[in-house]
Amino acid sequence: MKVAFILNGRKVECEVKPNRLLLDLLRADLGITSVKKGCEQGECGVCTVLLDNAPVNSCMMLAQQVEGRTVTTVEGLADDRLMKTLQSAFMEDGAVQCGFCTPGMLLSAYALLKENPKPTAEEVKTAIEGNLCRCTGYVKIIEAILDAVERINS
Amino acid sequence: MKPLPSFSLHRPKTLIEALELMWELEEAKPIAGGTDLLLLLRDGTCKAKHLVDLGLIEELRFIREGDDQIRIGATTTHKQLQRSPLMAEKSPALRDACACIGSVQIRNLGTIGGNLCNASPAADTAPPLLVLDSKVEIASHAGSRSIPLVELFAGPKLNSLQPCELIKEIRFPVPKKSNGMSFQRLGRRKGCTLSVVNAAAYLELDGAICRQARLALGAVAPMPLRIRDVEEMLRGQKISQQLIGEAASACHKLVNPVDDVRASAAYRREMSCILMRRALNEAWDRARRNMQ
Repeated sequence: MKVAFILNGRKVECEVKPNRLLLDLLRADLGITSVKKGCEQGECGVCTVLLDNAPVNSCMMLAQQVEGRTVTTVEGLADDRLMKTLQSAFMEDGAVQCGFCTPGMLLSAYALLKENPKPTAEEVKTAIEGNLCRCTGYVKIIEAILDAVERINS
Repeated sequence: MKPLPSFSLHRPKTLIEALELMWELEEAKPIAGGTDLLLLLRDGTCKAKHLVDLGLIEELRFIREGDDQIRIGATTTHKQLQRSPLMAEKSPALRDACACIGSVQIRNLGTIGGNLCNASPAADTAPPLLVLDSKVEIASHAGSRSIPLVELFAGPKLNSLQPCELIKEIRFPVPKKSNGMSFQRLGRRKGCTLSVVNAAAYLELDGAICRQARLALGAVAPMPLRIRDVEEMLRGQKISQQLIGEAASACHKLVNPVDDVRASAAYRREMSCILMRRALNEAWDRARRNMQ
């Protein structure tokens, strides 16, 4: 079966089996390695991608299901101002330890700030409730997202 | 994690096409959000030669009010319900339940019909929909039928649908102006976890008198439960802190929980009473506010 969709602003077309997961299509076939393979059951959030701007677990979707839709990963937001601000805040505020959860955290934070440019700390926590950090650096991650909010609004 | 077994995937654009596929194909399963089904397929609990993806069927995704009913299409996502102004105004208990299912990522994919069909005793949409007196509109190639929601649950992780049937919509009467409702849950943590116990209460007041009461508890029996005996204790009575306390305590002997990885049966039994008390208090509060 063929699947055609917009990946990071570019149209892609691939041949996929019906049981191919979006996660495997992105990582193995298309080389998008910011999308990590973690729990594979929708709990850890390291496979998070934006589907039409909304965060979803790519381990919970069949590749076919993105036909005609828009998939965005951190690679596609490298020049995006909001993403760059978030990345700087993460780096400067020590919100990255091993880095495995970072792309997913950034995408969840990005989706939140796109919708809600001035979230409270509680809203930030809710936005990243589907992203586990194995280093348990949540405090610094939350601080970095709130710092990015300040940087954007100042 | 085991890889997904192979299957063929069908992506109909209309409900009629989907129903024909469900009828014609051997060992076909519908897939909506997929957040439960893909896991069941991987661990072998569920087998399918064909998956019929309901994701492209626009007519199954809506939230509407009309003819004194609120109607929700089966593939409406938790996120859509969480964000719906109609839900916020007319069924905050369902809105609150949808807001705490899974994570943002799961709520963007998971659907209300999927949550109900998965028939988990802990399904968070079940208690509020039970107390809203919901009916489930079921369709097949041969026609449609409507059942009370409670009849959809046939056992733990078991629904009563025929293999060729699909849920079309969930509907319930528009709550009366003098109503108050509440959803409460307890999880091992706040985010991305199944409920250890969940509860919903719906009250209609006439001044201080309770005209209607519907109560439900989840994760304390093989299926989500309506607590009819306790509803009887409230109907026609003057609502007070004392009555709410007595009603909540009466849940103790009406639930039938199990020990599992998330909690012991004894703890669940205690928490049933506490969550029901919280639900009744919030419902009472909201009803008084709605009457002003």
